[in-house]
Amino acid sequence: MRTRRLLPQPRRLALAALLAAVGFAVALPARADAIRCRPMWDFSIEVDGSYPKEALFYQSDSRGKYFIDIPACKSGLLLDLFAKKIVAVPRTLVSRVDGGLQVNDGASTGATAYAYSLDGGIIQFQAEEKKVRVVPALQRPPLTGQVSFDDLLADRAEYREGMKLYRPDADAVAVIGKFAKPIEIEAFFATWCPHCKEYMPKFLRVMQDAKNPRIKLTLVGVPKGFSETPGPWKEHNVTGIPTIIVMIDGKEINRMGAGPGPGPEMELAETLKALR
Amino acid sequence: MGEAAGELARPPAARRVLAVASRLGRVGLGVVFLAAGLLKAFDPAEFAHQMSGYGLVGPGIAAVAAPLLIAFETTLGAALLVGFSTRATSAVAAGLLVAFIGLEAWGLAKGRTESCGCFGAYVQRTPGQVIAEDLLFLVLAALSFRGTRPRPRDPSSPPLRPSRAAVSVIAVAALSLAFALASPSLPIDALVTGLSVGRSLSGLGIEGKVPAEGRHLVALLDLADPGAPAVAERLNALAGRAGAPAILVLTPSSEEEKAAFLWSAVPAFEIRTVDRTVLKRLYRRLPRFFVVDGGRVVSILDGAPPGPEDLISLGAS
Repeated sequence: MRTRRLLPQPRRLALAALLAAVGFAVALPARADAIRCRPMWDFSIEVDGSYPKEALFYQSDSRGKYFIDIPACKSGLLLDLFAKKIVAVPRTLVSRVDGGLQVNDGASTGATAYAYSLDGGIIQFQAEEKKVRVVPALQRPPLTGQVSFDDLLADRAEYREGMKLYRPDADAVAVIGKFAKPIEIEAFFATWCPHCKEYMPKFLRVMQDAKNPRIKLTLVGVPKGFSETPGPWKEHNVTGIPTIIVMIDGKEINRMGAGPGPGPEMELAETLKALR
Repeated sequence: MGEAAGELARPPAARRVLAVASRLGRVGLGVVFLAAGLLKAFDPAEFAHQMSGYGLVGPGIAAVAAPLLIAFETTLGAALLVGFSTRATSAVAAGLLVAFIGLEAWGLAKGRTESCGCFGAYVQRTPGQVIAEDLLFLVLAALSFRGTRPRPRDPSSPPLRPSRAAVSVIAVAALSLAFALASPSLPIDALVTGLSVGRSLSGLGIEGKVPAEGRHLVALLDLADPGAPAVAERLNALAGRAGAPAILVLTPSSEEEKAAFLWSAVPAFEIRTVDRTVLKRLYRRLPRFFVVDGGRVVSILDGAPPGPEDLISLGAS
């Protein structure tokens, strides 16, 4: 009995190759337009006047494109500086990859787009009936007065992430962690100050790693123009920020943070070693 | 009259000690003012910036006043050194020092912690140190003033004649003003800034800001400068060229200026903010460009942004 072949062998191969080529061609644009995004902690997202902790700003590997993730919005938002618009990206096209996001940019053609305006370094627009502003972190309304360690970290992503990145000297941290006497530390800082943004996460990481229950840490946020504003910074004669006042038995033994120098753990460990 | 009688009553040894101390005070104070003027003359724009930082005058007035003040200080120093109208110049110097002390004390009370710029951009001191220093200089001024009563002529070392001294002082005034005005255009950056070929990133104070591995073109750029977008355009073009090094911009600009620049210039390179006091040691005027390879400066490219050919040839050499 003769079996009837639908197509001769070479033709079947050619057809398979053609189908594969078509499939590849269909898949190619999506792959080529997929952009990788990583969080950019220098900016905060303001939504209707507040700063949701989960709302994040991402820098992409594609020049001029940034991704704005606001959980309260149905879609992700892709800022395109060249096209001068913000495009809604369905969340199905956004996936989490290595601490960042992968956004399928090509598939968003024809999607809803929003206009934005610039006010200095602030980007503002309206999306899904929400007023959104991308604000440089230092321009956010400052935290002033006494603030707890946890509240500070919950409110300021740039401090939280700065802490994660810092690797303090383990020996110095051990010296601080094992110091036997009670230490009082008053840290005057400002959430609007660029030097504090670099220094304070390092200092907070040291405090966290030292795990010394005898350290009593008081964090005080300082307002702009603090030299002319009454507050605890006046009582302590704070003239520059950050100023970390280290006290033992109620007596001030050192001030740290105002100038360039070694890491905070090194300076504090040296101070404590000298007291032994 | 009574003072003269007191001087006469003083034993010769004490008179001689006082005369020597007075002369040392005058020369010391002269050197201080001359050095202060000359060091500031290397970077008058920075002195203007520091002046306006006190908030008493705006940037426009400070820019005009800076070269004049530099010339005045240099001339005062020269006048003290050559002994021209010593009593008057000592009094003026003392008055100036009192004004400086008052200004620093006022700044300190207002919470100012920045360096005063008394000895240019490259000598950093706190306001407290400046006040202590100025008090010491006031002692020199007092010594100089005290020892300037008319003296008998010493035939072995005749003092400079007033006419020659006056000519010298006028010449110094003219030269120092000319230098202060011309200085920004003179090719002396290598001499007066900390940036030089062979220096390490830690030596420049920018370790952690520029990667120690690989080759990078580093641009020092004021993002708020009207010329910054044009520089960004050239750097963007450069960033896309094969063989060009990675580009990194270091800026003393604020976060707000950086953000505004990001949205308008759409840079194809990374921008990192560096504390102005750290970065200022590396430049007199911005922009400035240099190439770092393996954590050391291998080339400095002053002037306009380097062309791709320059950079690619640098990489080949």
